[in-house]
Amino acid sequence: MRYTLLDRWVSGAKRQIGVLSVLLLAALAVQAQEYVRPPADLDRLTQELFAEIQSDQVPYEDLYETLLQYYQTPLNLNTATREELRGLLLLSESQITSLLDYRQQRGALLTLYELQIVPGFDVRTIYRVAPFVTAQTAGAGNALRGPFWQRVLKEDNNALFVRYERVLQDRKGYALAPLDSLGHGPTRYLGSPDKLLVRYRVSHTKDFSFGFTAEKDAGEQLVWNPSARRYGADFLSGHLVLQERGRLKTLAVGDYQLQFGQGLLLSSGLQVGKGAETITTLRRSSVGVRPYSSVLESTFFRGAAATYSLTPTVRATAFVSRKRVDANLQFAADSLAEFDEYSSGFLLTGFHRTPNELANRQALRETVAGGNLSYSSRSSNFAAGLTAVDTHFDKAIQRRPELYNQYEFRGRHNLALSAHYSYVRGNVLLFGETARSSSGGLGTVNGVLASVAPTVDVSALMRHYGRNFHTLYGNALSENTRNINESGLYLGVKLRPVARWEVSAYYDQFWFPWLKYQVGAPSRGHDWLVRLTYAPTKTSLLYAQVRTRQKEYDADGNRPLPLPVPTVRRSLLLYYDANPTTTLGLRTRVQGTRYRENEGAWRSGYVLAQDVSVGVSRRLRLTARYALFDADNYDTRQYVFEQDVLYAFSVPALSGQGTRIYGLAEISCTRSLTLWLRLAETSYRHQRTVGSGLEEIGGSRRTEFKAQARYRF
Amino acid sequence: MRQLYFIVVILFLLSITAYGQGSGPGIRGARAAGLANASVTLSDVWAVGNNAAGLGQLNKPVVGVYAENRYLLSALNTVAVAAAMPLGAVENEKARNGVVGVEVQRFGGKLYSEQRVGAGYGYRGGLVSIGARVDMLQLSIEGLGSKQAVAVSLGGQAELVPKRLVFGAYLYNLNQAKLAEYQQERVPTLLKAGLSYRPTDKVLLNIETEKDVEQDADFKAGLEYRIIEKLALRAGFRTLTEEITGGVGFQAGALQIDYAAAWHAALGLSQHVGVGFVFEKK
Repeated sequence: MRYTLLDRWVSGAKRQIGVLSVLLLAALAVQAQEYVRPPADLDRLTQELFAEIQSDQVPYEDLYETLLQYYQTPLNLNTATREELRGLLLLSESQITSLLDYRQQRGALLTLYELQIVPGFDVRTIYRVAPFVTAQTAGAGNALRGPFWQRVLKEDNNALFVRYERVLQDRKGYALAPLDSLGHGPTRYLGSPDKLLVRYRVSHTKDFSFGFTAEKDAGEQLVWNPSARRYGADFLSGHLVLQERGRLKTLAVGDYQLQFGQGLLLSSGLQVGKGAETITTLRRSSVGVRPYSSVLESTFFRGAAATYSLTPTVRATAFVSRKRVDANLQFAADSLAEFDEYSSGFLLTGFHRTPNELANRQALRETVAGGNLSYSSRSSNFAAGLTAVDTHFDKAIQRRPELYNQYEFRGRHNLALSAHYSYVRGNVLLFGETARSSSGGLGTVNGVLASVAPTVDVSALMRHYGRNFHTLYGNALSENTRNINESGLYLGVKLRPVARWEVSAYYDQFWFPWLKYQVGAPSRGHDWLVRLTYAPTKTSLLYAQVRTRQKEYDADGNRPLPLPVPTVRRSLLLYYDANPTTTLGLRTRVQGTRYRENEGAWRSGYVLAQDVSVGVSRRLRLTARYALFDADNYDTRQYVFEQDVLYAFSVPALSGQGTRIYGLAEISCTRSLTLWLRLAETSYRHQRTVGSGLEEIGGSRRTEFKAQARYRF
Repeated sequence: MRQLYFIVVILFLLSITAYGQGSGPGIRGARAAGLANASVTLSDVWAVGNNAAGLGQLNKPVVGVYAENRYLLSALNTVAVAAAMPLGAVENEKARNGVVGVEVQRFGGKLYSEQRVGAGYGYRGGLVSIGARVDMLQLSIEGLGSKQAVAVSLGGQAELVPKRLVFGAYLYNLNQAKLAEYQQERVPTLLKAGLSYRPTDKVLLNIETEKDVEQDADFKAGLEYRIIEKLALRAGFRTLTEEITGGVGFQAGALQIDYAAAWHAALGLSQHVGVGFVFEKK
């Protein structure tokens, strides 16, 4: 048994050796007894975790990247805490418990192969987690690996990424426009259509992480103007993080993220929301302070944070952050108004391409301070903690005077306090968090996960976020994009009735007690999903997924009183993924959506996509897709995951009729240099223009080119 | 005037049938027709038109003749001849250098017709087959002249569970060949993908989805049951054209004779006949 699995791993690794050969070789060189870690199939991981994209108000590409970045530093199974193992999102609670028990009884794992004899670990689970974990036994202390600077210099997990991206067609926003007699013209982008990203990071789990990121979006300028706080690239980020220095568990300087409890007050982007994984992604883990190296320009803190271990069971975290955020500033026209100068809300896109967007850039100064005090029992079965987050803005926030904004956050100051807990007993995990904001609004989220039988897992989660509950950095599970004005009840189940088959399903019911944008009355809805997965062989996967979501939106037409009516979105997804030979990968995706508003006519959208991936040689891997799409309108647009250069993510929304094609080449030039080249084209039928506004292209095609180089030192 | 009326009727019918002809890949072989054209995983001589990857599994030279009549209208007849030839020595039931196939096809009548010459190649390596095909198409409309186009197609088949679960995908006209500038008239670009489940050697259950860029998606399912070795019964349906199909196949020595009938809810009966001849090695 051991040898067969070893063979599988080795053959699996050989198959995609081109992908991470450098990493693998380096890992082998450092630690001869360490197994060959299989390359991460991030594409398949996202397929398994995420269900379907729901809205385009959320920058999914950046969110996914944040999540993928998390998997960049492998977790050491011998030192990982329960919370960190939960953070992987791939292990069930009973698996975590049995791994911890095993570690306690038998000592550290010598290699990852040993996972096979840990009770509750099946081959599929081991395959899923293997790319993201290690089993290092070099003792507990980092000092045994040599002095600090040597550890940093010798670290293999270090890489410089340079990425370039551009749409090849001319777009309206970049075209010259005639000026009128006053010298004014229509709005145009100030910068070039090139998108650039430079990122360096070196990290070792439970030791250190250093990194910086610089990004310029398409349309932004490269400008050096310190007085306007512009230093070259539009977005700059850097961090220094030290871990496990005696009782000082973590010290972060620069950009960092925080996640405590169920993410009600502090959530770092490591969430996948309601998805096809109905059990393990439901609860959040208190991973605490984490380095930030992504490009999502709004969801991080800038300053310093530290976690200190007061006693072996009690940890205290304190943090302070001061940064400027984008906001639209306005001045009160009325001298009796509450605020002379105020902002109608935050701008989260991170784009600074036009004079307007630039005017809003970093207009608001945000100061956040707070902390967390956590207790975790010695067995880590029980954990509880308190969190405080105090936010101060230099100008008041006051949203537009619409009825649906009645209970939104206003003013300059918000103090939010919360308490969280988690308790495991036998096969049952209870967890939750309850918070209160300055406004008096309450938010609470509580859940239970249970392995009722070896083949049956169930979950339940209840949430209530008051209409006046204000959490500015929280992102607990919800239907809305923010944790406000919502109550809900979620039930999930995962069954493995026979070998190779798995059924996962959830039903979620939600209520919105106050008005929402485009919903002029209290409303409610539900959402359910069933996914049937079949893995006929080790390397192939088939699944069928049905999802239906019903929500209320205001009916069209001019009515004296708004009337929310139910809209239904029903989608079907058939997916097939296999590696019939060691060098060939095939993926087929069929997805269809039907949408209707209040008993009206059904609208539908459909995509059929075929992917082929070929390992031409050890140095070259080619991937291509041909997809046909047909969506009646914007409501039935289709989001399709695409393979992209490493750590990048592409999820275009397709509507209309046409084809979407891409090709991706991954070239391992030398041991340290890897290149990715990608060309993608959407070609529409019966359309003379593509896109709208400044993004409009004359013609029926949109072609994107992307190149990325990774250099390992 | 009668001619014009006739053309209008034909164009109307073509738009209803909404697939197949109109320079699409169409139906090839009465076996495929009996299975509601859920044929992307099949590997007989008509794979040359259904999915060139299927050619790779042939290990003997084969010729086939196929005729089709739609809705009892002679203007909608199709006739096709195909041949496939393994290249190189045959080892382990597969040709070392792959299999080539050629096909000549004609659809239509005097007023509107399509001629097609296609050449395909399929190669089988292990559990995976790949194939490609090039079509030279000519469309002729009496009094309006004719247009030519070249369409390139690619296909693949893979045995997920050897001999039990087969996957196939076929992309027709990936170059999106243009027929006329007017309204950007193109040869249809079409992608189909499907699975074939073969629980025993006697039963074959095919499901397939097919999408033409400018038409609605089609879902097809077909069942073949080989009652005795020489006799197979087939049935199927497809959702887009709302057709139910049935068919029968006999094997008589080197001859394979297939017949299929399809019933369209609005347009009625179509019939398909095919004969194949396998050149056994002496």
